[in-house]
Amino acid sequence: MMRLPSLYFVLCAVAVAPAVQPRLDAQPRLDARLVPVNEAAYAKLVAGHKGKVLLVDFWATWCEPCRAEMPLLVKLEQKLRARGFELITVSADEPEQEAAAAKVLKDDGVAGPVYLKKAADDDKFIGAIDAKWGGALPALFLYDRNGKKVRSFIGETPVKELEAAIEKFF
Amino acid sequence: MKTLLSLIAIAGIATQISSAQEFKVGAPVADFSLRETTGRAVNYSDLKGKVTVVVFIATQCPVSNAYNERMNELYGAFAGRVNFIFVNSNATESAENVREHARKVGFVFPVYKDPNNVVADRFGAQSTPETYVMDSSGVMRYHGYIDDSQTPSRVSKRGLALAIQAVLDGKAVEKPETRAFGCTIKRARHAG
Repeated sequence: MMRLPSLYFVLCAVAVAPAVQPRLDAQPRLDARLVPVNEAAYAKLVAGHKGKVLLVDFWATWCEPCRAEMPLLVKLEQKLRARGFELITVSADEPEQEAAAAKVLKDDGVAGPVYLKKAADDDKFIGAIDAKWGGALPALFLYDRNGKKVRSFIGETPVKELEAAIEKFF
Repeated sequence: MKTLLSLIAIAGIATQISSAQEFKVGAPVADFSLRETTGRAVNYSDLKGKVTVVVFIATQCPVSNAYNERMNELYGAFAGRVNFIFVNSNATESAENVREHARKVGFVFPVYKDPNNVVADRFGAQSTPETYVMDSSGVMRYHGYIDDSQTPSRVSKRGLALAIQAVLDGKAVEKPETRAFGCTIKRARHAG
């Protein structure tokens, strides 16, 4: 028998509304909880970063390649930040894993805003990010200074390859 | 003689969405072959005439492993009426790994290896777990997740089970495509 969508998701959809204001500064939020993001909030988040080359990293605590990649992405952001590059992380963890996700981000020194996927409908959320993405992790999406998605990286991607792609949009 | 799959590797696909996808929802699925870790082969052309389910799985992906019990239950619920083909396409997981994992987690079904991810490429499979349902004539009727949450208590949409039942009943699948979240398939890397 099918279960009805839980109240949790309904609450999340409501709770996401105030979370759409993107943080344009890159100050550490090491003690902060992850900001919930749905597809509408995500679109506003990307739009709010116009003027920067933006890399969005979808990851999860259970995703070993994502975990291995994270410190390398942090270093890449440190290297390119002054030239107008920003890294945003969106955790695809279940709500129960939020604290664990926050710890990983803290341990890895992630300085930018940190988000947690909380969509009422994962299908719609994933499709809104990239029509060709099935939701598999790791997944990274690169946006140019106009907020246009210019590259998708599904699966493990060498950081050198990412950097070369990013360089084209400075 | 059945058409065997070419084992020719497709270069440059290790980190990108495969562009070699042949099989799509609503269209016939051509023959493909896989080999069980014990060496026994399965040819899809031998299975037509019955609804067939293909499930890409992994030994090390926590999302795939979250579905182990549910996959056993699905197999138990439908195995008499449906062919199931569970496939491991990860280059990072050997036939021995697959055999040992199946034993350890208690799979009640065989798992087939897909060397050089040839079959995963033809299906365009990206993740584990990711599923496909073909009707008895070989037309793909469903592609997507098993259900919509790796946490059983949070499941609200049982995509695969509903699709199988609809196809068995000769009805249209209400939602023929869903997004199969999980771990990316670790494709073979090739020089060049």
